[in-house]
Amino acid sequence: MTTAQILSRARQEKRKVLTEIEAKSILGEAGITCTPTVLATSREKAVSVSEEFGYPVVLKVSSVDISHKSDAGGVKVGLKNRAEVEAAYDAIMTSCRAYAPGADIEGVSVQPMARPGTEVIMGMTRDKSFGPVLMFGLGGVFVEVLKDVAFRIVPIDGNDAAEMVDGIQGKKLLEGYRGKETADKARLQEMLVQLSTFVDATPGIEEIDMNPVFAYSDGAMVVDARIILSEE
Amino acid sequence: MMELFFKPRSVAIVGASGSPGKLGYVIVNNIKGSDFAGAVYPVNPKADEILGYKVYKTIAEIPGAVDLVITALPTPKMTVSTLEECAQKGVKAVIIESAGFAEMGGEGKVYQQQIVDIAKKNNIRVMGPNCSGIVSRDIVTSIYPMTKKVSRGNVVLIGQSGLLAAGMASDIVENESLNISKVCSIGNKCDVNENDLLEYFGDQPDVDVISMYLETISDGRNLTRIAKKIAAKKPVIFLSGGRTEAGAKAAMSHTGSIASNAKIVEAAVKQTGMIMADDFTELKDFAKVFSTQPLPKGNRVAVITLAGSVGVNVSDLCASHGLELPKLTAETTEKLKDMFDTPVSNPVDLYFSVTKIGFTKTLETTFPDAFRDANIDAAVLILAGFEYTQEAVQKKIIQKIVQDVGKPVVVCMIVGYNKYKHVIMDEMGKELPVFPSLISGVKALSKLCQYGMRRQKLSA
Repeated sequence: MTTAQILSRARQEKRKVLTEIEAKSILGEAGITCTPTVLATSREKAVSVSEEFGYPVVLKVSSVDISHKSDAGGVKVGLKNRAEVEAAYDAIMTSCRAYAPGADIEGVSVQPMARPGTEVIMGMTRDKSFGPVLMFGLGGVFVEVLKDVAFRIVPIDGNDAAEMVDGIQGKKLLEGYRGKETADKARLQEMLVQLSTFVDATPGIEEIDMNPVFAYSDGAMVVDARIILSEE
Repeated sequence: MMELFFKPRSVAIVGASGSPGKLGYVIVNNIKGSDFAGAVYPVNPKADEILGYKVYKTIAEIPGAVDLVITALPTPKMTVSTLEECAQKGVKAVIIESAGFAEMGGEGKVYQQQIVDIAKKNNIRVMGPNCSGIVSRDIVTSIYPMTKKVSRGNVVLIGQSGLLAAGMASDIVENESLNISKVCSIGNKCDVNENDLLEYFGDQPDVDVISMYLETISDGRNLTRIAKKIAAKKPVIFLSGGRTEAGAKAAMSHTGSIASNAKIVEAAVKQTGMIMADDFTELKDFAKVFSTQPLPKGNRVAVITLAGSVGVNVSDLCASHGLELPKLTAETTEKLKDMFDTPVSNPVDLYFSVTKIGFTKTLETTFPDAFRDANIDAAVLILAGFEYTQEAVQKKIIQKIVQDVGKPVVVCMIVGYNKYKHVIMDEMGKELPVFPSLISGVKALSKLCQYGMRRQKLSA
């Protein structure tokens, strides 16, 4: 489905939260690379999709009613074979139904296990006065505890994107600290500009989280994404 | 449109008064005291003559066109009906000075909306309400009695609060502490806001520095767009009140929960190249530095002092404000070797030179030799308040050298006898940025260097 179709369907269904698959599809259309993610509505489908991707894979519950997927026991990572996928599918269903009894669960999303990279977060939120605002930071504890992030007002240009990426305290961690893989800063900057261009041209989106994004020495990949729509 | 506010050909004051002390009197008296050469029409149903001007009972009664109407009326209701009269008269610019509108909530909000509606329908631009309008050489609409004429300077100050902006204007004009051109107070910003003024002053060739204080940001997206454009050609100094760390809303994303108002404003400042001031003194001080000093090409600073301990403190302050203290070149070191017991370093301690050739001669030769050094972009000059310093200041020795060298300087005053210190601050402070503390001078210089480097980068 195209971005326009996804947005209009969500509006029709009076949904504010898009599923991970929808969010990644929209970001992909904006030029932002995401891990390929496919919906499986049955255990069998989960297995066949996994085999197509090749192991290991990740299964996550796909439900518009469950936003904290991990809390619901709805995420299983590093699944190495058919048996593990089948078991994970059943475990997710059982646990999520118990966690949110009335939830509409469409199945699970299946995606290949991404190679770990430097974890970063990118996002957008809408301010009453400034309009859409972008955020960039290092993921995990850096964003949650230290709030080591940089903001810019949309639209941003390449120079703004470069200042965002170089503007965080922990920027050394992007530059191959202690022998770690360097992060492709040019690609991260490009993704921020793509995000800016996308939100500037697409009204009705309130918040976006791309978290985590794995940054590699050549490129970067969005591993999980969330899009929240504005009140109409 | 904005020209009607700053260069009107005729002005009417509704709520004009003949009783000294009343706001309606002060406004008329301030206009009288300015260089305003157009027609002045006080409007008051109960008076015939105010300060020598013929008084009109209503706006409709005024013969000919009125470019600008200023209102100082006791009730919001009267203001609303005055705006109706303005519409009928074909007035296109109105400054509403009275309070009692949106800032009061409730009914005040309703009255302000009525004003916005009338203004929109009739293409009237409204400044205020709850403001003190404009202080300039050509027209003064402020509610503070002005004691001197406003200079035709190169700095404009935009403020939201009526009283504070008026007070700052009066202070600056009285003390000649800043080369001011205009002070604007825009109050509740029901129509004319910071973006209108930023755009207007950005295009005025005689405005070199814009200093702005906001309690609320009317339209941050446009502010970012406009400020980025303007700050690329002239410095925009920015003080934003009411910054909070709390998120603006109950967010469903990480991004939304971290994005506090303070962080967003800070981001906008970085993105646009505006210069953030942290209080009203800085708003004025930074404007002083930017309006009197050339832009440095870098952040390499010479610290010129007469006392080693002071030099150490300034070095520390420079380091924490992103300024570097490089070594002087071999040429300068060689040139100055007879003036120092040990090779000259940075901070440049002039004490040895003073003992050898005296204070005045040191200022005339050793100081400029160090300041001209190719490794140096700017200088912090530390002076003490003694009789010989006062003499040098009054003979304008320092002022001349600074101008001659052509690099930016900030002067910091420490110790000495108050009677000299004050003379130096006031006298030299008219031409150069003089600070009463080391940290304030260093901070201001760091802002100048930061901005200078950004401009270098933009033009590269």
